[in-house]
Amino acid sequence: MKTVSSLLDDHWYDRYKKISRLNIRSSIYDVTDRCNLRCKGCFFFSSGEHERAAEEKDVNKWHSFVEKEMDRGVNLAILIGGEPTLCMDRIEAFYKRLPTFCATNGLIKVPRDRFPDMMVGLSLWGDEEDEITLRGKDTFKITSANYEGDPHAYYLYTITPKQLGKTEKIIQKIRNVGLKVHMQLLSNDEDVNGFSWKPEELIAIRAEMDAMLDAYPDTVVSSKYYHEVITTGVMLGRKFGWNECPSVTIMRDNREPQPKRLTNFVRWASDLETVHRCCTSETRDCSTCKDGAAHMSWVMVNKRAHIATPKDLQNWIEVYEMFAKLYQFIPW
Amino acid sequence: MATDITQTITRIAGIIIDELKLEDVTPETFDADLDLVDEVGIDSMDLATIALVLRDEYGIRIDEDDYPKLTTVRIIAEYIGTKLSEKE
Repeated sequence: MKTVSSLLDDHWYDRYKKISRLNIRSSIYDVTDRCNLRCKGCFFFSSGEHERAAEEKDVNKWHSFVEKEMDRGVNLAILIGGEPTLCMDRIEAFYKRLPTFCATNGLIKVPRDRFPDMMVGLSLWGDEEDEITLRGKDTFKITSANYEGDPHAYYLYTITPKQLGKTEKIIQKIRNVGLKVHMQLLSNDEDVNGFSWKPEELIAIRAEMDAMLDAYPDTVVSSKYYHEVITTGVMLGRKFGWNECPSVTIMRDNREPQPKRLTNFVRWASDLETVHRCCTSETRDCSTCKDGAAHMSWVMVNKRAHIATPKDLQNWIEVYEMFAKLYQFIPW
Repeated sequence: MATDITQTITRIAGIIIDELKLEDVTPETFDADLDLVDEVGIDSMDLATIALVLRDEYGIRIDEDDYPKLTTVRIIAEYIGTKLSEKE
């Protein structure tokens, strides 16, 4: 029987043991249906999810809801929206109780006297030109001023096909303001012209992402295996899609056979009652979904499948470490 | 009593081998003291699946809060023994 220690040397086995018992149980929460931007390609608005539920406005109900979520075993709250920072009281209901990650466009600064160590993910959709095309404004100037040097913030850089050959400039900009960056790929839910990935572009961007990780290891939080999986949609010969996705809301998961999945994962709407199908848009074609967190989780829940060769298991460890760093379960 | 726990260990090992589709090991050769997380690489989802089979097999409920303690087959066997004696 292959055991973990039989596949790893001491260095890798120590790394494995630092993450093997973390038992991260995340769920995702729409904090609000509103946003101060309207980005082309934002799945929340393009799929009509912002109209699915009327947001709960009584903050006391948010507090009691979070208590119930903790009783359900959730130990990581991932806040999305709409724009969560429009509702700081709701964010606080989570932050006071459990590890919390807030995905934001960064235009409103999270007050650090109120949320001193909450991890903040700043969305960034490319260079100035892409940002203006897709989001109506270049947010980097504002977000970098708001968060320069913040040890509990990083950029979530959504790479578009138009970014080929340009990612280094963005990575350097981020490094120069003392922040880190995690890369993901645009899924182009609104079919914006020129922003859908072609096979050859995915091959090229994978090489570019690898090169950025090699050149800026202190700035880029990533792994080459993650780049492989997200650009090919293939892991250990299996193709990503509905039958494999780990991030399906447990109450909506009627798949047979049941794939490996995130334990008790739910994506809640902001009325605190409605649930969404998965971590991203219900209208998205799963076979072309490029969601970074879903692909990371796909690797993470399939640990045993990676206990095959030393390289497979090392790949798994690197992806799990990346996730654990992005959500502050282990240091950068 | 020693025979009981040996039988329980062998049965639990068999369940784990079946559920995780482990290769090159039998219930008899499975090391009862092997760390299930650090060495076999099981995760909480695997353990939840195994707990369901054990529940059906032994008629006991394994509390989810107890999962972190159940680190080896021998410890699981002892846990089951304690649960069964509490039922009597």
